[in-house]
Amino acid sequence: MRMTKYILKRLSIVALTLFILLTIVFFMFRVIPGDPVSMFIDSGLDKESQELMMKMYGLDKPLWDQYVIYIKGVLHGDFGNSFTYSKPVLDVIGERFLNTLVLTTTSLLIAFSVGITAGSYLAWHRNTKIDLFGTVMALIIRCAPVFWTGMILLTVFAFKLDWLPLGGMTTVGSNFTSFWDKIFSLDFLKHLILPAITSALYSMATPTLLMRTSMLEVIKEDYIELAYAKGLSDRNVRIRHAMRTALLPVVTIFAVQAGLAIGGSVLVETVFRWPGMGREIVLAVASRDYPMAQGAFLFIGFTTISFNLLADVLYAYLDPRVSL
Amino acid sequence: MALLELNEVSIEYKLSNGKLKAVDNVSLNVENGDVVGLVGESGCGKSTLIKGIINLLPSNGKITNGEVIFEGEDLSKLEFEKMRKKRWKEISMITQSAMNSLNPVYRVGNQITEVILEHEKMSKHDAMEKAKELFDLVGLDRARLEDYPHQYSGGMKQRAIIAMSLALDPKLIIADEPTTALDVIVQSQILEKINALLEGYSGSMILVTHDISVVAQTCNKVAVMYGGRIIEYGDVKQVLKKPNHPYTMGLKNAFPSLTGEKKDLISIEGTPPDLSKKIDGCRFKDRCPFVLDKCKSGEMPFTRVESGYYYCARHDEIDHLRELADLSETWDV
Repeated sequence: MRMTKYILKRLSIVALTLFILLTIVFFMFRVIPGDPVSMFIDSGLDKESQELMMKMYGLDKPLWDQYVIYIKGVLHGDFGNSFTYSKPVLDVIGERFLNTLVLTTTSLLIAFSVGITAGSYLAWHRNTKIDLFGTVMALIIRCAPVFWTGMILLTVFAFKLDWLPLGGMTTVGSNFTSFWDKIFSLDFLKHLILPAITSALYSMATPTLLMRTSMLEVIKEDYIELAYAKGLSDRNVRIRHAMRTALLPVVTIFAVQAGLAIGGSVLVETVFRWPGMGREIVLAVASRDYPMAQGAFLFIGFTTISFNLLADVLYAYLDPRVSL
Repeated sequence: MALLELNEVSIEYKLSNGKLKAVDNVSLNVENGDVVGLVGESGCGKSTLIKGIINLLPSNGKITNGEVIFEGEDLSKLEFEKMRKKRWKEISMITQSAMNSLNPVYRVGNQITEVILEHEKMSKHDAMEKAKELFDLVGLDRARLEDYPHQYSGGMKQRAIIAMSLALDPKLIIADEPTTALDVIVQSQILEKINALLEGYSGSMILVTHDISVVAQTCNKVAVMYGGRIIEYGDVKQVLKKPNHPYTMGLKNAFPSLTGEKKDLISIEGTPPDLSKKIDGCRFKDRCPFVLDKCKSGEMPFTRVESGYYYCARHDEIDHLRELADLSETWDV
């Protein structure tokens, strides 16, 4: 019951946050010099036609009116029409957003499951050569730029070995009955591996190093000594007592990492020609496609906030000392 | 045969700048039914010694000499798996800081059943029933088994740990300063509880403390530890009435007596010896008011008395020293 109340409370905060985000994004784009007409229409266009276009997009109205119209639309689920595509924003973003979500979720899952396991392993073998090697490797991988890692992986696994496709999301010409049919197909999986691993490698170091530090702290605790005194096996002490408790700070950074991963997907999507939202955002901002950019930012904001909420709920579930 | 027999046990810690001999050549017998008090000031090696007994030394600590015979078996040479089976089942612990000895993310009840299920073939339900009985025994409400450690007070946590230590009816319970972290009122409650439980318990106990009054209340034997060595061992009544080692005399002076005459407490000046250096002569020589040249080098003679032993070079004039030790001038520096 308390959980339900908490989630309801949080959801209302989410709504408020999104509203503020929307307002900021709306005005921010209009403050940036340049307007859609000058950006993508041949400047030779005569003045009348330009004004006509502005009117068509509704950009001739006062800023305040534009804002009210936009907010009203969003409340009705209408994010406006993209200037560039002349299609409803939702139609353009919709599937691309899901593509990005599939990619980032997969990479986060890989990054956190591998990171947590590796971090606890390194801590358990602290002050050994394995620990040193692992820590240094984690730092090196963390420092490597995403596009560079991506290109290296492409060179090795796509060009040289020819095990995996070069890019894109599906083989050209393949047909799928639905979105779900597609993402659970082997073809999709093959395309997903490299970008997901590239992105995961980048996100992996933080949970690895944090888990390691957290484990090292926990190992010193008295309840670990008591767990040994109880006659538990090494494995049980490590998993049930040490890892379980050390996990807590790692959950906290999950939300942060999720936000970073979605933002960082721009580079991965470009390298692997992944039809996600990252590239769309860059295009939309560059061409001053206001509705498109606003919609995309709202989706990103929503996802980040959702991951935060998820992390909070997960934390409260994992740590009985925290009540929601 | 003694339940636990420590024979010339030495324990060393490897440090970045050399070795530290925390326990040096300690011998001790614990018979069935004994409650042995292990007293000494901080850093004298009490905790190291008991960790050595159950093989729980930190990775840089090692038993370098001697044997730990428990029911005829040398625990110090036992492999991990075999030792693990004995832990808690045969030797359980009441830890120094019960505050932090319970894992914060599990319910207290589950932490108790965990140890029962680890060692005994029992259903979860039966284990929980057993935990409930244990909670009755230590005076905690059964419903609190469902709570998490952070919902407990310090005294309750200590009771929960005591309940846990009794879970498998071990032959030996090692209580490492069970009352140190508690306030005085709770301290005396816990001590009373321990005393009451000892009435119905057939096994033995080693009670580590730096409080001599706790020893007087609870134990039948006492081992006084100083600088990594048990310098005096014997029957509690005899040791407290007629201490043989000057350090024990000093220790006795430093605690108030409830029944005796009212007098000022006398402290022992100075600090304990540095265990990372090799000690020549008596360990107590720098602080002992009775120090002579013969105390300053070589091994101190081992003197057996009626109920135990002690190490002091001036063993032939102890009665005289005891009289002097009662005077506060003796301890002035």
